[in-house]
Amino acid sequence: MEYVYTIVILSCVNVILASGFNLILGYGGLVSIAHPIFYAIGGYVSALVSMKLGVPPIFAVVIGTMAAAIASVGLSVPSLRISGDYLVIASIGFQLGLVHILNNLELTGQAGGLSNIPSIIELPGRTLVFSLIMIVVAGLCVLVIRKLVNGDFGRAIIAMRDDEEAFSALGRNPIKLKVVLFAVGSGMAGFAGSLYAHFFLYLTPDDFGIFTSAALLTMVVVGGAATTWGPVAGAVLLTVLPEAIKFLDLPVSIMAPLQGVIFTLLVIFFLYARPQGLLGGRRRGGGLEVWSSRGAYRSPDGGET
Amino acid sequence: MTLDLIGQLAWTGFATATYYSLFAMAFALVLKVNRVWDFAQAGTMVFAYFALYVAYTELGWSVVPGLLLGLVVTVAVALMLERFGFDVFRRRNSSILTFFIFTIVFSQFAIYLAELIFGTEPKTLTPTLISPVFMVGKIVVSHWDLKAIAVTGILALALYVFMRHTREGERLVAVADNPDLAEAYGISRKRAYAVSMALSAVLLLAGIYLFGTKAALFPSTPLNRLLVYAVIATILAGIGNVFAAGIAAVLLSLMQAFSILVIGSKWQALLAYILIFVAIIFFPRGVVLPERLSRLRRPAGPPSPDDDEGAAGEGIPAAGPGKR
Amino acid sequence: MTSVVRCQDLSKRFGGIVVADRINLELKGGEIVGLIGPNGAGKTSLFNLICGVVQPDEGHVYVGSRRVEKLPIYQHARLGLARTWQHVRLFNSLTVMDNLLIAPRDYLGESLLKLMFGLKRLSAANHEALDRAGALLERVGLAHKAAAHAFELSYGQQKLLGIARALMNDGDCLLLDEPMAGVEGRTYDTIKAVVRTEAERGKAICVIEHNVAFVRDICDHAVFMFNGSIMASGSVDALMADRRLTDLYFGAGRGR
Repeated sequence: MEYVYTIVILSCVNVILASGFNLILGYGGLVSIAHPIFYAIGGYVSALVSMKLGVPPIFAVVIGTMAAAIASVGLSVPSLRISGDYLVIASIGFQLGLVHILNNLELTGQAGGLSNIPSIIELPGRTLVFSLIMIVVAGLCVLVIRKLVNGDFGRAIIAMRDDEEAFSALGRNPIKLKVVLFAVGSGMAGFAGSLYAHFFLYLTPDDFGIFTSAALLTMVVVGGAATTWGPVAGAVLLTVLPEAIKFLDLPVSIMAPLQGVIFTLLVIFFLYARPQGLLGGRRRGGGLEVWSSRGAYRSPDGGET
Repeated sequence: MTLDLIGQLAWTGFATATYYSLFAMAFALVLKVNRVWDFAQAGTMVFAYFALYVAYTELGWSVVPGLLLGLVVTVAVALMLERFGFDVFRRRNSSILTFFIFTIVFSQFAIYLAELIFGTEPKTLTPTLISPVFMVGKIVVSHWDLKAIAVTGILALALYVFMRHTREGERLVAVADNPDLAEAYGISRKRAYAVSMALSAVLLLAGIYLFGTKAALFPSTPLNRLLVYAVIATILAGIGNVFAAGIAAVLLSLMQAFSILVIGSKWQALLAYILIFVAIIFFPRGVVLPERLSRLRRPAGPPSPDDDEGAAGEGIPAAGPGKR
Repeated sequence: MTSVVRCQDLSKRFGGIVVADRINLELKGGEIVGLIGPNGAGKTSLFNLICGVVQPDEGHVYVGSRRVEKLPIYQHARLGLARTWQHVRLFNSLTVMDNLLIAPRDYLGESLLKLMFGLKRLSAANHEALDRAGALLERVGLAHKAAAHAFELSYGQQKLLGIARALMNDGDCLLLDEPMAGVEGRTYDTIKAVVRTEAERGKAICVIEHNVAFVRDICDHAVFMFNGSIMASGSVDALMADRRLTDLYFGAGRGR
């Protein structure tokens, strides 16, 4: 049963990660492969602050979350000044660079990572208790995002998506909107990372690399971008699936690349066959193609005026 | 720090610049003509490398047959990416998100596939990476260095001649400048896209062959290291300037070579990532002369930092992957 | 009449094509200026330069006394510059009402902090916007369509919505890009009435139009553009009587 509770916890962590990433990718239209890095920043900052400065884990989590959100501004503002396309490129540098730093910096424990992180919860049956807490927390995160993308803020997001230039011409600042979306999504990743750190008590840079990036992308694209429950479905599916594969008892050296191949093929398949994901579509809206040039305005060939 | 050391670093930097230069030109070419930020080139490099690896280490072929196999595989991969990837998404008017995700995920797929089949440990194309050396003054020059410079020089020259002095090359440039107008003159867009992908495949194969005969490669190296410099060089050169990207790559390589004097080797890899930010923050439109900039036009799809879309309502056709 | 928008020696080229060649133009409050000329003359480009969609190579744009040509698009709008587009460019995923609610110059819903901490101020602003939007929909005759999605409207209705959206800006300047194209009957009359009323209220209005009757009817004076330059300006009748200009418009010289 311990095993089941752990899977529940991991699913909830992934739900938070995927929902935050969906806010950035599906609602903000920003392709960033650096989401795992904000997950890492949250985890490492939270862990270090409690290990080195004695901050109680529950406050450390808050600090970790804020650190991730603030760090995200360092990535989004310089690149969005130019264009969303440059954010993709900058995110590649950010992701690879920070992983390299984590692997080589003494403070973060280098490749070995950090261990003996102070625990946020010390009770008999901590796994069960934490799994229940995580279900609530993950649910809250999903609802916060849902609230955000409806209402006034959501109206702005949709208008920006339909026609960013016309949106700007009304006096709206699309860059600011994207920076905010990016910060909220990244802050959420940091939140997930902090919780992860203070429960599993052990962090290594391997958890925050390109593999995680691919996994998150799979969760959002397969689940359904720009929908509330798509990332949830994707996260649960892609936490449980690899566990099922583990039962095949393949050697470790095959396991990880095999998962990678499956994830990436899933994304490619969905890009071709079902870009709206499992839960997106005609009725519910959403899916990657809300960002297609069909929805938005494109000027015609040749002069008209 | 002696003059000899500087000379040696300069020479080594220049020699390793060769493959970076080839990768940069390949990336810049596809961006220019196909208007796609082709991050799938990392994956293409993986296919190229392992085709060579199989030929040399598993089948025991000699240099030329191995290269031919590599060529067939790489060009096939590139053409399939264009035909079954970019073209499909273009016709569907897919969002630029789709292009980005597709190219990045394709590279990730290639890496995981390679790790699955060949394992995650580093590989080499030849039993030994050491080639004979001789001295020029106090500077060590290896046969590999000369081979690399020769190969790169010949390919760059060939590409230059092709693009400036052949009909096919002129067609490529026409499609790059203005696809709709080019089609109005009877130039086939699809053919231009295919030709540019094929050319990029040749450059990628040459680059990965040179790299593979000089250093060990992890399956993830193309994405983590090699592609990064190609992207930076392309940005610094300004979008649309293929040969300037090649030159920018040389400068970046020299910078990396000399960086050993200032930073420890374990932090050297960070240089590339920091340079991405420097390029984006300080030189998003390239380190280029102003007159050349005005020739760059922004398509509706992939980017040039110059956003001319507003002009499109006035007789200047908008273009991009979304346009037929 | 105060100068609301002033273009000074605006120049812009794209590659070999000159879209603006030392343009000098002044838009004054309460005046309706007609911008006419053949296709490709640079009229929409001029709007783009004024609104910040495109930055000039040389020259300046003044809104009141402020130089704005280097500012981002959204700041032009916040200074009171509103425009419509040749291709309407509504937010198709939103309802008619939402298309208007997103358009006031100060949209508090954009700011996360205000959303979190300024709930009372937000709600007051929302009410005000809702009232204004409702009134505008009445004015253009679209009140009954408030809940429909923008893509469901007919072409004429879409043009009306585009104008209503620009009016939500409540600024001093209105730039209309071919408002009458493809429009007739009741829609035509409504748009004409709206433009007249806004001018009477003191807005500086500039209209790009091919519909000569409309221009003659409504504009105080007109400006003729060709190949990026202003060739002549004056009363519409005087311009239309000038043989040289009508030749350029209808015949021999047609853009590049």
